[in-house]
Amino acid sequence: MSFSPVLIALAVVMVLVLWFAFHAYNRLVRMRNNVRNAWSDVDVQLTFRHDLVPNLVESVKGYMSHERQTLEAVTKARSAAMSAGADISTRAAAEMALGSAVGNLFLSAERYPDLKASQNFLLLQEQLTTTENRIAFARQHYNETVRQFNTLIAEFPWNLMAGQFGYAPEKMFAAGPQDRATVQMAS
Amino acid sequence: MSVPEMTGAASSFTARAGRPPETFFKAQERNRHATWRMSALCVFAALLMGIPLTLVLSPFFYAVTMAAAEVVNHFSPLPPEFWKTSSDLARLAFRVADAVFNQRGTVNPQELVLAAALIFLPGIVVALMLWAGMLLLFRHGGVGGTLASLNAREPNPQDLKELQLADTVQEMAIAAGLPAPKVMLIDSPGANAAAIGTCATDAHIVLCRRLLDDLNREQLQALVGHLVASVGNGDLRIAFTVTSIFETCGLIVTLINAPFGRQSRSTLWRIIRYSFRRGTGAAKAADAEQVAELLADTLDMNSSDIDRFFNSSNPGLIRKALRLMFFPFLFTNIAVELTLWFFLNLLLGPCMALLWRTRRYLADAGAVELTRNPDALESALQSLSNDCATVAGGSWASHLFVVNPGGDRSLRGDSASTEQQRKFLQAWQTTASTGSPAIPANPLPSVPGTATELARVRQEMMSTAMSAAMGNADAAARLQVFAQAMGVDPALVHELPNINDLMLAQRGDRAAQARVRMHRQSRQRQESGAGRGQTGLQTVSFVSFHPPLAKRAKRLQKMGAHLIDPSRRRGGLAGKIVLAILYLILGPLLVTCGVLMLLVIVMMIGLNLLCLGLWLALIHWLFAVDWGSVIAGFTRFVQDVAAAFSRRR
Repeated sequence: MSFSPVLIALAVVMVLVLWFAFHAYNRLVRMRNNVRNAWSDVDVQLTFRHDLVPNLVESVKGYMSHERQTLEAVTKARSAAMSAGADISTRAAAEMALGSAVGNLFLSAERYPDLKASQNFLLLQEQLTTTENRIAFARQHYNETVRQFNTLIAEFPWNLMAGQFGYAPEKMFAAGPQDRATVQMAS
Repeated sequence: MSVPEMTGAASSFTARAGRPPETFFKAQERNRHATWRMSALCVFAALLMGIPLTLVLSPFFYAVTMAAAEVVNHFSPLPPEFWKTSSDLARLAFRVADAVFNQRGTVNPQELVLAAALIFLPGIVVALMLWAGMLLLFRHGGVGGTLASLNAREPNPQDLKELQLADTVQEMAIAAGLPAPKVMLIDSPGANAAAIGTCATDAHIVLCRRLLDDLNREQLQALVGHLVASVGNGDLRIAFTVTSIFETCGLIVTLINAPFGRQSRSTLWRIIRYSFRRGTGAAKAADAEQVAELLADTLDMNSSDIDRFFNSSNPGLIRKALRLMFFPFLFTNIAVELTLWFFLNLLLGPCMALLWRTRRYLADAGAVELTRNPDALESALQSLSNDCATVAGGSWASHLFVVNPGGDRSLRGDSASTEQQRKFLQAWQTTASTGSPAIPANPLPSVPGTATELARVRQEMMSTAMSAAMGNADAAARLQVFAQAMGVDPALVHELPNINDLMLAQRGDRAAQARVRMHRQSRQRQESGAGRGQTGLQTVSFVSFHPPLAKRAKRLQKMGAHLIDPSRRRGGLAGKIVLAILYLILGPLLVTCGVLMLLVIVMMIGLNLLCLGLWLALIHWLFAVDWGSVIAGFTRFVQDVAAAFSRRR
């Protein structure tokens, strides 16, 4: 029994197409998982900051009794960030507000020399610096992965597949202007 | 509402005035392509090196096989087909060689292919097997050995600086989306950093403790970013492959030398013992390190067992007989070592060095991507360039360091302005009262003129630093007062010990004392004139594995760094002309040398073939002659002579 060359060529093409389709689909899935992973990294770092803030407020309270407003702003921003919900852009805005509130707190700490000199405060400052950095870097990584994912699902073979399997563009972790406005009014 | 971010990622790239000519994405892509090109070149170089190597080793392999066959045949005769096939193949080889070299006779392509396979296949198969063996052997070696030889320790979380380092590594790992590598510190007077390991999961970042004082947080972050990016790009695997290729070359030399020398035999024995060792403890890792170093040493042309074998004065009878028996191996050996030395140094080594350089540029671009701060990396590199980068015990891993441990002064800061020099001198003189008579007074007279004055003060400062390192509290106090007067670490004297360390050591900090002691030792070694020389992989390539820092800075400037004035040029036009003339003279000379060397290699290959042929003929004759009849004839001859004598009487 012999196959005609046309049949063999067809089979080869079919196999190639199938192989490419599997490969493409797997790439799609992998990229989506990368995005999820990156998001969970961001989430972990944000939660870590939420846990750190009460500690911070507690340890500077004694020194900074005149800065009641600043301290309250931090506490408020924290609770706002914790209840920001799942929408990424509102959450981003709330988290940024928290970040700036904490930054303000450290700026006002400059006015208290005995606080600045304490070893405890230095350690705390380092901890906060690294937390802020981690959040910033996790956000950077997340946004980069999202950018890659969004580009991928807009490109040719993948855009067909993405529509088929329900893959939509992901949102970057950044706050639009209207979100910022709402958070500012709330705080 | 603005968002104040504290450090590191703060400087957003687009916010900078003026767009950089090349984004870090572009730079990474370009360097990835360069890596591909260089790896293709490496493969080509390896193949090219393989041709003479197989031309030496295949005949050797066949000669040994045939000699063994002769011996076996003597005791239990081999089937006649074996002899027939081998003689057919030998005739074929002759015919093909005749056709190729003398253009005589004809060969069909089939025969040509068969002959080529006969020559090249054994070499290729053996080389690939040895390489695979090396890969398998060292895959589970781990990093323990390197860490042990570097004397690395874990960071102390009580120390704010070391805590900061651990945090920085975590941050960079998050930015790269990688599992955080482990951090280790070296209490070494040098200033350098490396990423070591065999894959991304057991990656370790090793930093000299001194860097934590010399660099600020952003610079440290950039440096760690380079290392993490390097790990993320898979450099560790590439480094592993590169070293394994050199180790394979070392193994080939060892194997060739094994019959002749104790040294090679002991190396071989160590490798065998290591490969049968179970477990993955620290001892095994240390063993792997030692084996790797031994193999690297065999690539050095100076440590040859074969010279000792053939040159030892007053040899015994057995040694003489052995020499006679092994004489063709001398040429095999010389040919192999010469080929390896020549091609490794001039072809494969430089190719691999250039490959590794593209990885360094790639990691630089990666660091910029992670930190978005090209300035920080640039200034960190400059700081490293100013410092002495040698790390004790890091010889075998020298290519893994960020900056060439042999030192790279190409990015050294400009000689300070006269204003700075004046300030420097003044600051030192005002601190004179702090010192006590215990400080060795310098006999040099104070000559007017800033340059000589500067040199004198620097020398004086060095001796003060040395006495401070010995434990002189006054000297340390003087240095500290001076450092305070200058603001920061005095930029004009890079060889000074770390002043923070000095003060800590006075107060009894063990780690700081160790650092000061190491600094003192390395100073003494430098003064006693022990040349640093090149180490590890650097010895097998005349091209350094590290790109010059100035070039790296230039690429960073393309990505937007602007701390170092790009208009600064070293040398100038006159220097360039001199260099060009030098190249014009040296270039043809070097090419001639290379061609001569190739001729020598070809001659060695020919001699090797000739000697092996002679040797085989000799052995064949030894076995072919009917010794029984020879001896019988000889005894009959003796009897005849004796009979003749007795008859005459």
